[in-house]
Amino acid sequence: MFLALDRDEIEVANAAADFLASAMPIDRLHKPGCADMNAVLRGTLAEMGWFALTLPEADGGSGLGPVEHALFFREAGRQSGPVDVLTQALAVLACTDTDLRAILLAGSEGVALLVPDGAGLRLLGAPDAAYALQVTREGAQLFALAGGQTTERPALAPACSMRLLDSPPGTAIAYTNGEHIWQMGELGTAAMLLGLAEAALDLIVEYAKVRETFGRKIGAYQAVRHPCADMALRAEVARSQLWYAAAAMAEQRSDVALHLDAAKHLCNQAALMNADTNIQLHGGIGVTDEHNAHLLLKQAMLLGKLFGGKRALLSRLVDATVQD
Amino acid sequence: MDLRYSDTDREFREQARAWLSTNVPRHARPAHGPEAAAFDRAWQRKMFEHGWAGVAWPKEYGGLGLSGLQQVIWYEELARAQAPHYINTTYIALMHAGPTIAARGTAEQKTFHLPRILSGDSLWCQGFSEPNAGSDLASLKTRGRVEDGVIVVNGAKMWTTDAVYADYQELLIRTDPASERHKGLTWLICDMELPGLDIKPIRTMLQDEHVNTVFYDDVRIPKTSVVGEINGGWSTALSTLSFERGLGFIGDQLELYERVCRAIDLAGKVRLDSGKFALEDDGIAQKLAGLKADSLAIRSMTLAHITESDRTGEPGPNGSLMKLIVTATHKALSETVGEILGWSFLEFDGDRTAHPWTYDYLWSWVFSIAGGTSEIQREITADHLLKLPRAR
Repeated sequence: MFLALDRDEIEVANAAADFLASAMPIDRLHKPGCADMNAVLRGTLAEMGWFALTLPEADGGSGLGPVEHALFFREAGRQSGPVDVLTQALAVLACTDTDLRAILLAGSEGVALLVPDGAGLRLLGAPDAAYALQVTREGAQLFALAGGQTTERPALAPACSMRLLDSPPGTAIAYTNGEHIWQMGELGTAAMLLGLAEAALDLIVEYAKVRETFGRKIGAYQAVRHPCADMALRAEVARSQLWYAAAAMAEQRSDVALHLDAAKHLCNQAALMNADTNIQLHGGIGVTDEHNAHLLLKQAMLLGKLFGGKRALLSRLVDATVQD
Repeated sequence: MDLRYSDTDREFREQARAWLSTNVPRHARPAHGPEAAAFDRAWQRKMFEHGWAGVAWPKEYGGLGLSGLQQVIWYEELARAQAPHYINTTYIALMHAGPTIAARGTAEQKTFHLPRILSGDSLWCQGFSEPNAGSDLASLKTRGRVEDGVIVVNGAKMWTTDAVYADYQELLIRTDPASERHKGLTWLICDMELPGLDIKPIRTMLQDEHVNTVFYDDVRIPKTSVVGEINGGWSTALSTLSFERGLGFIGDQLELYERVCRAIDLAGKVRLDSGKFALEDDGIAQKLAGLKADSLAIRSMTLAHITESDRTGEPGPNGSLMKLIVTATHKALSETVGEILGWSFLEFDGDRTAHPWTYDYLWSWVFSIAGGTSEIQREITADHLLKLPRAR
C-alpha cells in the first residue's frame, strides 16, 4: 500500500502542469472571447494525446488509469480550465463507434456537456460543438447537435459558456451503459475543484508574504495566518480522499462510489470555501475584475453542480458503507 | 498509488485477529481510579507476554519491529475486537517516554526502562506544561539546580494526566538559570516516589480528576536520569512530540468512521420531538453524511501519512493538519449526536459508560486543547507548511 504519488505519477502531473500553464493559462480569462475550449486549443490538446490518456492502448490511447486522469484534471482546474476539456475526454471513452471516436480524439469536432436544468436541458461548452454528451449513473449518450436549437445564456463563470436547449436532442448516435463514464466525470470534476482549492491557497499565501499593512506583512497576523491554515487543511483533506478514490477506482474496488462521493463533496467544499476566503483575505484587490480571485470562485460554483451537487452527494453518503 | 495490502500485512492481520478473538478482556475497563490503572497494566502485560507489545518498536528494544502500516492494522483489529482503548494510563509510557528513551537514552536507561514500559510494569506521566507555560512551552520556569551527581528541582507542572498512578514522569525543566526560551532546558526521568514531590488533582468540566498539578520542593533527581544532554532538553522534547504527532493518535483517526456509522444507526432509532426519526430530518442526515465524508478523508490521510513515512523514514509535515481535522470532526460529531438525543444528551453524572456521547462531547475540548491547541496547530501550519512571515 502506498497512498502518495509515485515517481511515474509525479511525472504525469508535472507534464500536465507545464503543458496546461502554457496552453490554457488562467490569465487567458481576462481577454475577450476567452470562454470554452476553442478549435485551436482542442487541436493542441488532441495533438499531445491528452484526450486519449485513459483510453485503452488497443483503442489507440495511452492506457493510463483514473489516477492519471485525476492528476491531469487537477492541473486543468488550477488554470480554471473549460469544462469541455473533460467532456471531450469522457466522450472519447463513451464512444464505441471507431470513426466517430477518431474524430473526437483528433479534436476535429468538439463536444458540449448536456445537463438537466429543472424540466429542461442546458448545454455547457463551446457554441461550435458538433456533439453533446449526457452522462448519468446509468450510462452516457452522445447526440449530434444541429444548428439553431439553442438559446445562449449569460455565464457567471468566464471559462464556460451556457445555452438552453430549446428542444430535446433527438436520438443518441452513440451510447454506453454503466456507471464508468459518470465516475470518470465525477473524478475529473472533483480533481478540477481540488486544483481550484489549491490555486486559491497559493494566491493568498504568495500575497500574504508581500502585502503590508500597519507596518507588517499581512501573513504575520493571525487573522490572516489562521484562515490560511484552514485553507491548507481543506485542500489536504480533499486531496487525500481524492487520491484514495482514484486508487480505489483504478483497483476496481466495490466501494468506489462511496469514496468518490466523499471526495467530490470534500472537493466541492474546499474549492468554494478556499475561493471565498481567498477573496476576503485579499481585501479590495480581491473583488476586482483584473484579479484572478473571482475566477476561482465562479468556476468552483459551476463545477460544484456537475457530477454530484451537495444535496445529492450527501443523501447518497448517509447509507453507503466501506466494503473492505 | 496502490491500496493493496501485501501478503505479510494480510498474514499479520489474520494472526492479530485470531489472538485478539480469544484474549480480549471479558470485563469492561473501570472508568476511573486505581482499578482502571490496574486493569491497563494487566492488559498490557498480557499483550507483552504473548508477544504483541510494541508493534512498531524496534526489535532490539523488545518490540516487533514492524511497519507503520502494520501498526495501523493492529489498531484496526483492536477496534474490531472491541479491545480496551489504547489511550489509557499506559499511553505516555508507550507513546512518549519509550520512543524518547529508545532514541535519546543511555544504554542503562534503555535496559532498565524499555522492558518495564512494554510489559506495563511502569506507567509514565508527562511534565512539560506549567501554570504559566502551556502553548508557549519554551517559557517554562521550573528550575533544576545542577549539583554533584544530582539535579535539585523546584517549581510546578500542570495538566499532568494520571500523575497519581504513574511510576515515572518525563520532566522538562530549566537547568541554566541565565538561559531563555529553548536554551538551557533538560529532559529528566523523575521517579514519582521521590521526596518533595506533591500531587494535587484538578477537577475538570468532565466531572473527573484525570489531570493534576505536580509540585516540586527540592526534589533530588540523579544526573544519570538525564535523557539527552544537560541544557539540551528542547531537542529531546521535540523528538518526544514528533513521535506523538506521527503515530500517537492513529487509532482514534481510524475509529472516527465507525463512530460516525454508530451515530447514523442511532439516528435511525431515536425519535425527535416532531415524532420523526432523527435520520428523517434533512438537517441531521446531511450533517451525518458530511461527517462520514470527513471521517473517510481522515482515514485516507492516515494511510497516506503512514505509508509515506514507512517509505521515507520521516514522519512528514502534516501532523498539525491531522490534529486540526480530527479534533474538529470529533466535536462536530458530538454536537450532531446532541441534536439527535435531545434531552437525554443533557443527562450526565461523570460516568462515561452510562453517558458516552455526552462524555465525548465534553472530551472534545480536552482533545482540541491538549497536545497543542488548535490555534497553535494553525500557527505551526502557517510557519512550517505555508512559510508565512512570523510575528513571534
